[in-house]
Amino acid sequence: MRLVLHLDSISISISISTSLFFFSTMPTIAGPSSSPHKHIVAARSENTGVSEVNTPRKRKLRSDSAAEVASTAIVTESSFATPMKWKSPRRCAVSSPKALKKEDSKGKLESPVMSAVKDRFDCLDVKSKWNPRDDDQMRAVKEALHVSKAPSTVVCREDEQRRVLEFVKGCMEQKKAGSLYICGCPGTGKSLSMEKIRQQADDWAQQEGLPCLETVSVNCTSLTKTTDIFSKILGESETGKKVNGSSSPLQQLQVLFSQKQQSSSTKMMLIIADEMDYLITRDRGVLHELFMLTTLPFSRCILIGVANAIDLADRFLPKLKSLNCKPLVVTFRAYSMEQILRILQERLVELPYVAFQSKALELCARKVSAASGDMRKALSVCRSALEILETEVKGSTDQEPQSPVTEDQVVKMDHMVAALSKTFKSPVVDTIQSLPQHQQIIVCSAAKAFRGSKKDRSIAELNKLYTEICKSSMITPAGITEFTNMCTVLNDQGILKLSNARDDKLKRVSLRVDEADITFALKEIRFFRNCLL
Amino acid sequence: MKSFSRQILTMGNENPAEKALNLIRGRLCDPTFVFRPLSASSDSNYSKLKFIVSTSVTEGCNNSILLLGPRGSGKAAVLDLVVGDLMEEYPDSVTLISLNGLLHSEDNCAFKEIARQLCMEHHLLFSKMASFDENSQFIIAMLRECGLAHKTIIFVLDEFDMFAQASYSRGKQRLLYSLLDAMQSVTSQAVVVGISSRLDADQLLEKRVRSRFSHRKILFLPPSREEIDSLLEHLLSLPADSSFPSGYVSQFNEKIKNITSDTRFKDMLKTFLNANSTVNSLLKFIFRAVSSMNLESGLLSLENFKTALSSMQRQPKLEAVRADCSILELYLLVCMRRLEVKEQSSYNFISVMKEYKTIHDSFQTSDFYAQNVCLRAFEHLREREVICYAENRGQSQAGEYRSMKLLISASELHQGMRSHACCPAILLKLLDH
Repeated sequence: MRLVLHLDSISISISISTSLFFFSTMPTIAGPSSSPHKHIVAARSENTGVSEVNTPRKRKLRSDSAAEVASTAIVTESSFATPMKWKSPRRCAVSSPKALKKEDSKGKLESPVMSAVKDRFDCLDVKSKWNPRDDDQMRAVKEALHVSKAPSTVVCREDEQRRVLEFVKGCMEQKKAGSLYICGCPGTGKSLSMEKIRQQADDWAQQEGLPCLETVSVNCTSLTKTTDIFSKILGESETGKKVNGSSSPLQQLQVLFSQKQQSSSTKMMLIIADEMDYLITRDRGVLHELFMLTTLPFSRCILIGVANAIDLADRFLPKLKSLNCKPLVVTFRAYSMEQILRILQERLVELPYVAFQSKALELCARKVSAASGDMRKALSVCRSALEILETEVKGSTDQEPQSPVTEDQVVKMDHMVAALSKTFKSPVVDTIQSLPQHQQIIVCSAAKAFRGSKKDRSIAELNKLYTEICKSSMITPAGITEFTNMCTVLNDQGILKLSNARDDKLKRVSLRVDEADITFALKEIRFFRNCLL
Repeated sequence: MKSFSRQILTMGNENPAEKALNLIRGRLCDPTFVFRPLSASSDSNYSKLKFIVSTSVTEGCNNSILLLGPRGSGKAAVLDLVVGDLMEEYPDSVTLISLNGLLHSEDNCAFKEIARQLCMEHHLLFSKMASFDENSQFIIAMLRECGLAHKTIIFVLDEFDMFAQASYSRGKQRLLYSLLDAMQSVTSQAVVVGISSRLDADQLLEKRVRSRFSHRKILFLPPSREEIDSLLEHLLSLPADSSFPSGYVSQFNEKIKNITSDTRFKDMLKTFLNANSTVNSLLKFIFRAVSSMNLESGLLSLENFKTALSSMQRQPKLEAVRADCSILELYLLVCMRRLEVKEQSSYNFISVMKEYKTIHDSFQTSDFYAQNVCLRAFEHLREREVICYAENRGQSQAGEYRSMKLLISASELHQGMRSHACCPAILLKLLDH
């Protein structure tokens, strides 16, 4: 008996020691970031001998993934807590245990950070090296960053989604009609959120045992006539009924919603009208009638309109306020830097390798949020940076096929800077610098001519200025026909603007480009610099 | 008939000069040949465009891109090269749909055209009676089908800024929105390539359309000096194949090298490029030079290029003055110019005659003619469009009292008179003061 027990205890102790061994080998891979776990810290101190052996080979990997984990950890906490100054993870890759330990003192932070880090434990083990020359890996990263790929969870829009869902649920429970207006800049996740809400409302209806929701989702750009929206709504709900030729679809709907329904289990109808400002006509009739449908006594539709203008409801539907049925307005604000960063990281975290340096992602998020807060632009910039890396790598392959894959071939700051400048820089400066000389002189004389308050001049006056500049530097000026041709070429390119006039000489010219751009473009050439003084 | 058959007989014996001329002219008119050497370098616009479109074809991701540059810089030519190469590499996976902003900027028209081209590609019957709704549903269905079958559709929108600016769509840009929105869905596999000469074409888009555009722009800049030199060599050197006598080929190429390294040629080229530096105008210049080649010697010379330059930089009014005006007409022009200089805003025939008399009185010139002769000279100048009536009103008035204006600038007048065969010196002096 005792022997058996002894054997059991030995086996148990063996199993405990093996598990401890496994437990303690894990932190060697995920060293600095694992500090919140107190017992792992202890294990690490025991096994520092073992960890030293492993560090040289895996040092880069650890700092990479550690940096990513640290950044996500810190970002998740910043999105809940008060905004702290965000330390760049690269700089404090060594000191991050202390940083994270300080945050440990705030009790509430421990749980989300711990859970985030716990999740990372699984992926950290399998985070392999990213090889940019591998086509499959490159394709996977590009796909993860493509605009058309909808992420599985929509982050950073929980608040807005919750409000809309509550509204829809309330309407469904009380079997009342209601209207909601969603506004926001393009690229802020409105249509994406609508899809999620639709699914969630359907699921909730099934859960609660309510009759399931009928949905009509219309993109108003696809309507030939604005009144077609009514026939679309009608077509969904009354599929069996023949369309009555005498009354319009709008009248039919109005009649339908003004009478008490025969059957008791009527379905609620969810109407989602995307790009609603296409419905705006001069007399605003269609938009008005659409919202009025929700005010009819037996109406059973929940109307959600999506557009870009914040004050659409106020400007175009003033009468609704008097009838006390102004739609609820939910604004989708433009993404802030932290939100953009978080969304990008969410997309990239599902991949088993690290493709982007976190500083590069931060730069992209900062620049895009300062410009417009448009998520599509951020994704496009990241993909562009990835392509720059790909051409660089492929270019070097052609030259030295035998060289080993250098470490750290991820998208770095300089790739991101190049991608950002490609996206945000206007081609005007480059074009002005590469114009032929006479056309540059014309642009220069136009810049001088429009310095004052005068906004346009005739071609003859511009020609005079042009000839003066040419004569001052001993260049033969071109004749008036050639001059007019060159002005037309510049008009085609969008640098000058020529008005239409019957007579060539009477055409008015104005400048479309900023004078500062012209000065910047031509500053290398001394002649133009003196000219523009 | 006889001369025609004689022509056919002589075609077999045409001399190598003519054959060379035909070959070079054929090359200059073929954009594929002209832009092919540019595709060799890895940094050129060709490779950038090819990279983007081919990754879309192979990886099945959607993309949109804008080609910008002045007219004649080869945007459509490079795109044709890229599409041609892709059609060879992936024969069944690429469908091309082309639209032009000048023809198809209206939404109805554009959708019909897209549906028609899709029908032609896939051998379906196209009905002209199809409504807008039917066309758009057909297009959406085809996009989905092609996406499932991994065929990429390349939409080429020429004159992209016209699509964005169509006045009768009231700024709604429906076609662009639908196409770019289709890029956002997972089911479709397409590339939208816009070609425009307006640099700010993407600023003309509505903000929701601009948000869906992926902001990739390729700028077509004029070629650099090295590129022009290599282009000249590529276009003008004869190949050393058997259809030409070998001595002739080496002679011809040697002459070309001499010309292009001559400093006079370089200056000429520089003057030309200072006015207009696109590839298209360079091709026109070379075409004219080659066409004036001396067929007997069979070699190009510097003179050919000089005549080409002067024929391209014509100043018609200056030539009218230089070649066609009599001394009396020159006098009248000088009088009109002097009246302009004296800040007389409007003048008519009578005031010009007064000025003419004043000049005659002060300088005692021998050329003083009666009024009716001057009137006829006036009419001649008006026919040549060197002068014209200032306004169209007052047509009932007699021609002598209507106000006139000069259609030639002072510098051109000066130049024309200086190069005139027998312009009296006094006139030049009068023009200056």
